[in-house]
Amino acid sequence: MELVNIFIKSAFIENLALSYFLGMCSYLAVSKTVKTAFGLGLAVIFVLGITMPINWLINTVLLSENGIFGTDLTFLRFILFIAVIASMVQLVEMVVEKYSPALYNSLGIFLPLITVNCAILGGSLFMVSKEYNFTESVAFGLGGGFGWFLAIVAIAAIREKIKYSNVPPALRGLGMAFLLTGLMGMAFMGLMGIDPAAF
Amino acid sequence: MHSTTSIIRFVLIMTSIVALILAALQNGLKSKHDQNESIYSKKATLAAVSNHIAGDFATLKDNDVQKIFDEQIEQVVVDQSGKVYSTEELIERGIKEGKAENLDLSREQKKPAADRLRPVYKFTKSDGSVYYILYTRGKGLWDAIWGNIALESDLSTIAGVSFDHKGETPGLGAEIKDNKSWVRQFIGKKIYDGDKFMSVTVRKGGAKDPVHEVDGISGATITADGVSDMLESGLKAYEPYLKTIKS
Amino acid sequence: MADTAVVEKKRTISFGKKERKLLTDPINDDNPITVQVLGICSALAVTTGMKNALVMAIAVIFVCIFSNAITSMFRKSIPKQVRMIVQLIIIASLVTIVELVLKAYAFESYKQLSVFIGLIITNCIVMGRLEAFAMANRPYESALDGLGNGIGYGIILIIVAFFREFFGKGEIYGAKIIGASAEYAINTTESTLFGWYQSNNLMVLFPSAMFVIAILIWAHRAWNPKLVDVS
Repeated sequence: MELVNIFIKSAFIENLALSYFLGMCSYLAVSKTVKTAFGLGLAVIFVLGITMPINWLINTVLLSENGIFGTDLTFLRFILFIAVIASMVQLVEMVVEKYSPALYNSLGIFLPLITVNCAILGGSLFMVSKEYNFTESVAFGLGGGFGWFLAIVAIAAIREKIKYSNVPPALRGLGMAFLLTGLMGMAFMGLMGIDPAAF
Repeated sequence: MHSTTSIIRFVLIMTSIVALILAALQNGLKSKHDQNESIYSKKATLAAVSNHIAGDFATLKDNDVQKIFDEQIEQVVVDQSGKVYSTEELIERGIKEGKAENLDLSREQKKPAADRLRPVYKFTKSDGSVYYILYTRGKGLWDAIWGNIALESDLSTIAGVSFDHKGETPGLGAEIKDNKSWVRQFIGKKIYDGDKFMSVTVRKGGAKDPVHEVDGISGATITADGVSDMLESGLKAYEPYLKTIKS
Repeated sequence: MADTAVVEKKRTISFGKKERKLLTDPINDDNPITVQVLGICSALAVTTGMKNALVMAIAVIFVCIFSNAITSMFRKSIPKQVRMIVQLIIIASLVTIVELVLKAYAFESYKQLSVFIGLIITNCIVMGRLEAFAMANRPYESALDGLGNGIGYGIILIIVAFFREFFGKGEIYGAKIIGASAEYAINTTESTLFGWYQSNNLMVLFPSAMFVIAILIWAHRAWNPKLVDVS
């Protein structure tokens, strides 16, 4: 049940996009239509789900004081995490291209964007600071990815509609997207009262 | 164009240079890091008796924290049965210098309650009065919460508390740390009613019992209940030890 | 060969109109946050107080300057195929330096910023400037560009933090300015200016950062109409 709890928490209450502002750059840039937002969201779930357990292994096996080197190497954490993310994204891109051209056509263009999506690195860093174990980190990765997916698809849907509204010129586009994100953040705050014991 | 070997060579050379620079920096700053960590937790302990420390506690310098710890604090490690551990026993268990300040408290929490080592800090104020600072740990809404509770020499009246948490919601559950006036409510409450252990409870909707209850935090009922549970179980575990100093 | 070296040297020390433009453009017309929409990710979570915002701004300025300069220095020898990873490693090591130094000399900020220090790595400003500028320009100009963008980013950060801290806690840089002196004023009657003011808790919570930036963008574009989105 602990795992469900972590999933729910990371997807809704500690939503990476709406409560930590992670991945905001691509969130704002790629949320003009639902279709592209959907593709990017899926790619994020995918990459978070893969990199989280790998980074967990790196952190516990290689870097921690009880790891195979026996010394505290945590100062290399940033470099290794980002290297893992960059190479995983590349690897996923190659594999998807080879075995599922259809999926590649819908996800492909988004994959390079994901390396610099803070939600991915942020997820790994949060995992370390929260001291999750292996299975918990998988649940956290999937939950975090799902939450991010929800957020970007929702804002894209709203932005598609708001195009037809009469917004003051200076607020059009970017400004409105920020306001909407803020309102969505407030709506998600309403979920904060959820009792994790209920799951 | 670059060949594969030259790319690999470039990346390898660069990574090793970078790693060397970082390792050197890390080594150079290590002692400073450790010192900061230890001062940070010492300050959290002293925060429970901050009313009894001269000067503005928030701006207390690192040296002053260390000085108070050296001169006015006496450290003891006990367990649930009231047994006081000697320095040798603690060193044998892998605790550095056998001091309570070097206990790894989150690791202790994972042991069964009967095996947990619990720190006690005896603080002697400049006017000679004595306070006992106890430590307790529990669960908030999302993650661990913990607190230091200072008792006056009657071992029942609370002289002050300080709480901290790992992942409570800012503005709601995190108020147990940030909202100083909520924390201040604990001062003067009693954990005993005569001889009966009562603990102090956080009451949703406002305290009814002026001696054993404090007001809740709106929007953070579960965190507040966590504080109640933590105080109840944590303070109860110190009961046998408190009895030994009373007699 | 010798000639160009002399010319380069002479140009390096100059600080003319072009260099000034490199510095000032990102502060107004080409602001990383309100115009380029870069680097919003890691920063907004740290704007609940001006102190944290200042530390974050300084950290980002430092990383921007040096990553730009270093990348530009090696721009000709970095193999194209692994460009991204090399850039990321440079940034990641600079950020690690920042983290180690903060942990040693500004421990409180280090504790409060926690994972957000690491997130400077994926701050799109840093990466974006490397790709767009440092890979094609000389180190001196790249460093200036980094400085300009870092400052442009930092200014927005501090403005946002100012509003959030002032209305959320009634404080400026940690000093109580308005409202009752303790947040919920139970045991204390002492108050400062406008003792009746109740701190607005929403400003401390995350959605408020979005509102403040939206209003900033609105104001910025109303004042500088050439930035208005056509869409």
